[in-house]
Amino acid sequence: MAYVQARKPLTTWLQTLLHYRWHPGAVAYVLHRISGIALLGYLFVHISTLRGLVQGEASFNEKMQLFTAPIFKLAEWLLFAFVLFHALNGVRIALLDLTQRGSRAHIALLRLVYVVGALAMLGMGVLIFWDPFGA
Amino acid sequence: MKRWSAFAWYWQRISGLLLVIFTIGHYVTVHWSAAAGHEFSSSVARLSNPLWQFWYLGFVVLGLWHGVQGAYNILRDFKLPRAVLLGAMVVLIGAALYFAYLGFDTVLTVHEWKHHP
Repeated sequence: MAYVQARKPLTTWLQTLLHYRWHPGAVAYVLHRISGIALLGYLFVHISTLRGLVQGEASFNEKMQLFTAPIFKLAEWLLFAFVLFHALNGVRIALLDLTQRGSRAHIALLRLVYVVGALAMLGMGVLIFWDPFGA
Repeated sequence: MKRWSAFAWYWQRISGLLLVIFTIGHYVTVHWSAAAGHEFSSSVARLSNPLWQFWYLGFVVLGLWHGVQGAYNILRDFKLPRAVLLGAMVVLIGAALYFAYLGFDTVLTVHEWKHHP
């Protein structure tokens, strides 16, 4: 028998969403997709910005001047949070799917993702806002 | 068709793991300090080295491929009408090809500024 999905109105969709059981693994699944879409968008922007390199030093510096503003430093830090979560959780997914023991330890691995992620966020915060290795 | 999507499933994980290595290398070299990533001369010096050129060509291809394939995986879950899914994929793949061209051209021509400051 063929399965035909009924068209659901928006309210039903919202109700489903509100009654959803937010298991840690499900939260990670949603965050992975949201951060993935954001990173693809950012990759387009990043490649466009670096186009300034081809137009010479003046053009490049003019574009880079924009990113020294405090709001962009904060944005860079937030971007790092997206990169970090997607990378760490991505390694977790690969371990779950490609190794024998990974799926049994997936919640422990998720905890590790958040702990390592938080520590790396602190480290990157120091690099971005204090620039200790800068000239 | 089944074999093809099994390959895609593996490739999404393997390209993801490769991208983690690329991203660590990228962050360590370019974002260690503000000057390392935002100064014209350091970027030109880096992209004049054939090894770094090769590195960044690989980064661009893997990043765009993994990203577009990931977007397809998400879209496919929404049971969109076939034409909408197809249209979205044409736009995504078109954008990826355009940005791959832009990235390649940038990586391969920046070294020309090395001797003409």
